[in-house]
Order: sequence, then structure tokens, then C-alpha cells
Amino acid sequence: MQTSEHMLRTGRRGAVHEFGMAFADLKASTKRIDLAWSLAWHDIVSRYRGSILGPFWITLSMGLMVLGMGFLYAEIFKVPIQEYMPFVALGIVFWGVIVGVITEGCDTFVHASGMLSQTSLPMFTFVWRTVLRNLITLAHHLVIVVVVLIWFGYWKVSNIPMALLGLALLMLNVSWVSMAVGIASARFRDVPQIVGSIMQFAMFMTPIFWQPGRMSGGRGHALLVLNPFFHMIDGIRTPLMGGQSGSGTYPVLALLALLGWLGAFSAFALTRRRIVHYL
Amino acid sequence: MKGPQVSIMVSDLTMRFPVYGVDAKSLKKSLATVTVGGRLGSSLTGATEVTALSGVNIKLKAGDRLGLIGHNGSGKTTLLRALSGAYEPDEGQIEIHGKIASLLDLNLGIDASATGYDNIRLRGRIAGLTAREIEDKLEEIGDFTGLGPFLAMPLKTYSAGMQARLAFAVATAVEADVLLMDEWIAVGDAQFQKIAHARLLSLMERAGILVLASHDIDLIRLYCNKVMVMKGGVASAVTSVKNLDDLLADA
Repeated sequence: MQTSEHMLRTGRRGAVHEFGMAFADLKASTKRIDLAWSLAWHDIVSRYRGSILGPFWITLSMGLMVLGMGFLYAEIFKVPIQEYMPFVALGIVFWGVIVGVITEGCDTFVHASGMLSQTSLPMFTFVWRTVLRNLITLAHHLVIVVVVLIWFGYWKVSNIPMALLGLALLMLNVSWVSMAVGIASARFRDVPQIVGSIMQFAMFMTPIFWQPGRMSGGRGHALLVLNPFFHMIDGIRTPLMGGQSGSGTYPVLALLALLGWLGAFSAFALTRRRIVHYL
Repeated sequence: MKGPQVSIMVSDLTMRFPVYGVDAKSLKKSLATVTVGGRLGSSLTGATEVTALSGVNIKLKAGDRLGLIGHNGSGKTTLLRALSGAYEPDEGQIEIHGKIASLLDLNLGIDASATGYDNIRLRGRIAGLTAREIEDKLEEIGDFTGLGPFLAMPLKTYSAGMQARLAFAVATAVEADVLLMDEWIAVGDAQFQKIAHARLLSLMERAGILVLASHDIDLIRLYCNKVMVMKGGVASAVTSVKNLDDLLADA
């Protein structure tokens, strides 16, 4: 009886070997990306089973928030509604992706403990599962984006290619954070709480509800320049509203993604064989 | 299929489990150890190491059906998990040629609120089938479970035996070369036992290697031609099932 499948597992053989095995895991996960997709889709279906609107419930509540905040804060800040409403709508929708991927990343490995402890499925599959699940949710929320951009007439000036570049860079960045907190949460059960607090804090520090132009010094203010979430949001929101993102936005995001993935991947390579025992 | 023969080679396999207690999982405790200047070394991580397997050697070729015998905690399941590729060895090496199907846990990838059909699809995907392969096999798997109209019902309405039927049907639908089983095969009623028995036999004809962990000596005699006794993580040599009585007398 002959076979083409082969599995080799060995004890530690130094860092180079560990990185090689981590790369093999990554490669195997891309080959089976359809499995990650099935799991992500299954998560969405089972989370909203029995509900009529499904993920659109979240879209609906987000839409209500956009409406309420749009009218209220346009009044308080004395900003024209056609400028503020799209601003806050885009901010809330894309902030939702950032928070979703990062906070749900805490559960990536913990929730997969059953599968990780008795199959040789690539661990990266579960990272992609979390990322894809949030992309599916985002696809629902895009309704808000489309409606707002059309209603207020921004669709004529929207720079879609730039916004897509921004979205790609955002996903690249949140996915490494997601994996890093996933590993950390598997080891230390305090991490999800810490991540939750940080993300809530970050929401208020990031211009989602308030406009960056109101800071003294505008976009150049240190609190904005040093806030990676500002760049992530700005890289999508500004082109969609027909503006020009800061010249540094995309290079900073690209650099951050590169460094972040280097760090997160190294952490993965060094802890990979231990993660299943953390669970 | 071209390639090497189906085989399992385990040499000097040692598995040490760090046991991360509740304390060790708290970040504060770990930080406290650092800041307070607690002893470095094993106390820093707070993990006690348990040696689950030490120096296990196994060599199996196509047609071998190995029965693992041993008390609770003797390392049977750990060995199966290591063979499934989930656990990485601390020392030694595991090399397996062949597609592995592990039937270790009935509840793997089970979603209680999804229907039987959805669970078949999900488990099938996890076991490595493509969406198309599952749709092609859905009817066959459904028939084999004998659950009929219950397949359209959520799994939470199933009894343990019914769940076992479903899990077994999906797991054995994968054309595997190496089958790893924990002893839950013994669940299910007499009728199901009979079908399962037939399926296992045909699977064993097709598949190269079976590794079965069980406390049930009769089950081992029925399915296996080789046995290995495990005791506290140390394994005996793999011998023919004919020597089983001698082995048990020694143990």
C-alpha cells in the first residue's frame, strides 16, 4: 500500500527548525484556506441561528448608532450633518473590524482547543478563521457605508482603490495583533480582559466620533501621529470621503504590518509546540 | 498513488507536559515573580512538568493493527494524540507515511445546535474532505448512521449513542491509511455495533494501519494483531497479540 502523505514530528532542533515548521504551518493553512472559510462561515451561521436578520442585527444597531450620534454630535460640534454623518458612519464601521479581529483573536486558540489537541490542522487556520469571520461581518456592515456615501453624495468623489489599499493594510495589521493576543491569551487568561480595556481606551483616543481637524495642529498632533489606529481608520475613511490621507499613512501602516508580522510570527514559531499545552 | 509504503515509525518518543496550573495562567502572578525577584527557572513559569511518555518505540507497517493496553493515565491517549500530529514530541521522532484519520473524541467539531447534516459537513471538512466530496458522500454517510429523519434535527436532540453513530460514520468516511481510535467505539446499540464492526473490518482491509486504545481485552483480540502494554508512560515492546496473556500476567 502506497501513499503520498507524510508527517514528520521531531523534538526541538534549534530555532531554524522551529521557524521552518512555523512556515510549514502557514503554508499548509493557505492550502486549506477553504477550511478556514468553512469554519468562519459556520461560526456566523451558528451565532445567528434562529434569528431572522442574522448579522444584520448588528448592522441595524450600528446604523441606529450612526444616525443618533450623527445628528447629536453634528449639533454639539456645530459641524454640517453631511460632513459629520459619513465621517462617524465610516469610523464606527471600520473601528468595528479592528475591535472584532483583535478581541476575538483572544479566543482563536482557546476555542479551538478540541481540534488542536487531536488533529494536525495548521494553527494558522484558526487565525484566518477569526479574520475571515470578521470580514464576513464587515460585508454586512458595508450596507451602512454604501447608503451613507450615496445619500450624502460622496460616491462621486470616493477614491475606492485607495480605500481598498487602506482596508488591506488594516487587515494585515489587525491580523498579526489578533494572532499575538491569541497566543498570549492561551497562556495567560488575564490577557482578554487587558485587551478589552485597551481597545475601549483606544476607541476614545482615536478620532472616530471627533474629527482630527479639531486638534490643535490638526493631523500633526502627536496623539494622532503616534496612534496606529488613527492611521488604519484614516487610510480608509479619508479616501472614501474624497480626501487625501496624510502622506505618511500608508507607509506607516505598511511598515507596522511588516514589523508586527515579524514579531508575531517569531513569537508563534517559538511557542508553536507549546500552545496546545497552554489550552 | 506513488510514494513510500504506509508506515509508522516512532523512535525514542518522549513527551513532557508542562502543567500550567491556575496560578501559572495568571499574568499578575508571573509578573510578581519577576518583580519580587522570585527564583528563576521552573518556578518562574510556574509549570510543573509531567512526563507522559518516555522512550516509546513503535514500528508499524501496512496491515498492522496495534492494540494499546494500559491503566488510566498510562499514556495511551497522549500517544494517540502525538500520532495524530497534535502534540509535538519533546524528544525523539514520529514519522508517518499515510493519511491519518483520528477518532479520538466524539465531540470534535460538533455544534449541538446545528443539524445532523450540518455536523456531517463540518466534521467532514475538519477531517480533510472538500465541500464537493462531502456532498457526494452525504447520502451514503446519512444512510450509514441509520438516523433517517433525525439528520435534519439539531444535534442537541440526539442521545449519546446517536451522536456516536454520526461521528463514527463521518470519521470512517474518510479514506485514511492510518486510523487512530480511542475506545469510544464501544458505544452504540447492538445493531450499530454490528454495522460498525463490518465497517471497521472493511476499513482495515483498505487502510494500512489501525492503532486502537482500549481497556477491553476482547475488543483488542477482535481487531488487533499486535499489542503494546503501557505503564506510567513507559511502553512494552510491540508483540503479537498471541502473547497478550503473558503480557497481562507480567503487568
